[in-house]
Amino acid sequence: MLANKILIVDDEDIIVRLLSMSLRSDGYETVTANCGEQGLAVFKAEAPDIVVTDIKMPGMDGLELLKKIKDIDPEKEVIIVTGHGDIDSTITALQFGASDFINKPVRDEALAIALERAKAKIAIREKLKEYTENLEFKIAEATDEIRRKSNFQRLLIRSSNDAIVAFDHDWKVVVFNPGAANMFGEAVKDVRNKMSIDELYTPKIAKIFKNQAKEGKQQNTFPWRENIINTKDGRQIPVRYTSNVLHEKGEFVGTVNFFQDLTEIKRLEKELVQSERLAAVGQTVSGLAHYVKNILIGLKGGSYVVDVGIAKNDTEKFKAGWKTIKRNIKRVGDLTQDLLTYSKQREPEFESCSPNDIVNEVIELITDIARSNGVFVSKEFDTGIGEVMADPQTIHRSLLNLVNNAIDACIEDEDTSKKHEVKIRTYVDNNNYFGLEVKDNGCGMDEDIQKQLFNPMFSSKGGKGTGLGLLVTGKLIEEHKGVIETETSPGNGSTFTIKLPYEKVNTVDKN
Amino acid sequence: MSKKILVVDDDQDVRSFVVTVLEENQYIPLVAQDGVEGLEMIEKHKPDLVILDVLMPRGSGIRLYRKLKTDEELKKIPVIMFTGIALKSFLKSQKALDEFQGGEVPKPDVYLEKPIEPEDLVAAIKKKLG
Repeated sequence: MLANKILIVDDEDIIVRLLSMSLRSDGYETVTANCGEQGLAVFKAEAPDIVVTDIKMPGMDGLELLKKIKDIDPEKEVIIVTGHGDIDSTITALQFGASDFINKPVRDEALAIALERAKAKIAIREKLKEYTENLEFKIAEATDEIRRKSNFQRLLIRSSNDAIVAFDHDWKVVVFNPGAANMFGEAVKDVRNKMSIDELYTPKIAKIFKNQAKEGKQQNTFPWRENIINTKDGRQIPVRYTSNVLHEKGEFVGTVNFFQDLTEIKRLEKELVQSERLAAVGQTVSGLAHYVKNILIGLKGGSYVVDVGIAKNDTEKFKAGWKTIKRNIKRVGDLTQDLLTYSKQREPEFESCSPNDIVNEVIELITDIARSNGVFVSKEFDTGIGEVMADPQTIHRSLLNLVNNAIDACIEDEDTSKKHEVKIRTYVDNNNYFGLEVKDNGCGMDEDIQKQLFNPMFSSKGGKGTGLGLLVTGKLIEEHKGVIETETSPGNGSTFTIKLPYEKVNTVDKN
Repeated sequence: MSKKILVVDDDQDVRSFVVTVLEENQYIPLVAQDGVEGLEMIEKHKPDLVILDVLMPRGSGIRLYRKLKTDEELKKIPVIMFTGIALKSFLKSQKALDEFQGGEVPKPDVYLEKPIEPEDLVAAIKKKLG
């Protein structure tokens, strides 16, 4: 707004008119009065921006008028016109809030300067007022926004199914949402602002987050990881988690962790694996039926031979038949075990054992059958393996299976001129894993057979195989975090290698 | 004179059973474990009848059967197929081999599926040998 309207008050009419004329010619609008009383009335009626008033006037003088105006509006600019040597009243006027004074006789320049100053003051004041008002509005707006946002975030954190836990720079819990309360089995009120990271998490998990903060900016956030957390009530929950380190102006201010409960996902995963496995067993059924039929043939034939032996009192016959029956009973037993192993989830039972000893056990079991089929079995041990942490049952069964297959591959071989041999070798590789290698020089496998090796219901042995052997072996080794590798050349033989994680048991105390 | 009958089967349980059945019925049993050994025995002993398994290592029954039926001298020896494989699958494989190798091999005279009762096996043998 432009300060453009000026009230001129003087008891000398000529001065009023001169000043008024001069100001008008400068573009101002003027209103006038000849005494204090009139001046006040005009002031009230016209609301001028600036007042120029003489001090000495009969009746209400300039000082009186100044006070009255300032009472009405302390921000009005009032310029006092004073005579020579009227210092006292000038000072009083300034004390009352006059913005400026000019001496009589009033010179145009002096008045112009005083007016400019007054106008500048008004402008500044107005600007300031505008700023202040604006500022207040902005603050109100910002406060509102912050409140809304923080409310929203609070709701967000509260309603999240994921556990959200935040720590301040002293590792005290400052955020612990209901999701976290659910997951950790702790009440919010017992944790927030009370527990430290070490009280809430296991040492292992606490360490992960502390290290992350230590690593500084490179590790502000890390990709989702998986872990198991222990709840207060003793449950173990599989979780997926991530964490952000918070900095403010370069200073570490805290950490926020997010946990997602994977229980349901894990359960579904497990169910899926289980149902896939059952489906595989289902597919194996036709192969199995065939196998079972063969067992039945064996049992029936065996009992016929036993009957003949009894009737004729022929001990040889009796023994032969009985052997057949026993062999087939064992086949039923093995089949049942394979089926159970394959259809059930089993955790390896780790214990200290010697792989070389297990190989010896297996060799002992198959020596007879190998010899009667003209297959020579040899071994080559790495004695450095010693005792390892492993599941001896897994090793035993897998190895027995591979060795049986190797012997079968020799029996199947059409090249009878070969000296058939199955070689079992043990070794350690870089201390990362140990290997059990079963190498035969039998018939080998063509590409078709290789592709189907670990498929259920596949058997290259006609009715003599269940199609479960390698499937079971593969599963056992997988559960043991190992791998099976195959190398083969049709007509020249195959090599199957089991590789298992090598965890040596120290029999000698290092300390 | 007793007739010689060759059993070709890789399953020792089956061999022991068939051998006992043959002995009980006054035949002279001969045994072979696979197709290769079977052919050797046939050429050497000229049996009066062959009881032949289909699925065996080293020269399957399928192959040995074709060999017997295409050999001028050996084709007179009657063959009883004795197997766990269904006849349909066996014929299918023969047909495939017919197309592949040319010519046509006659269907087996007798095709018995395991398991079998001893008297049914004997009846089949008697029918062939008279």
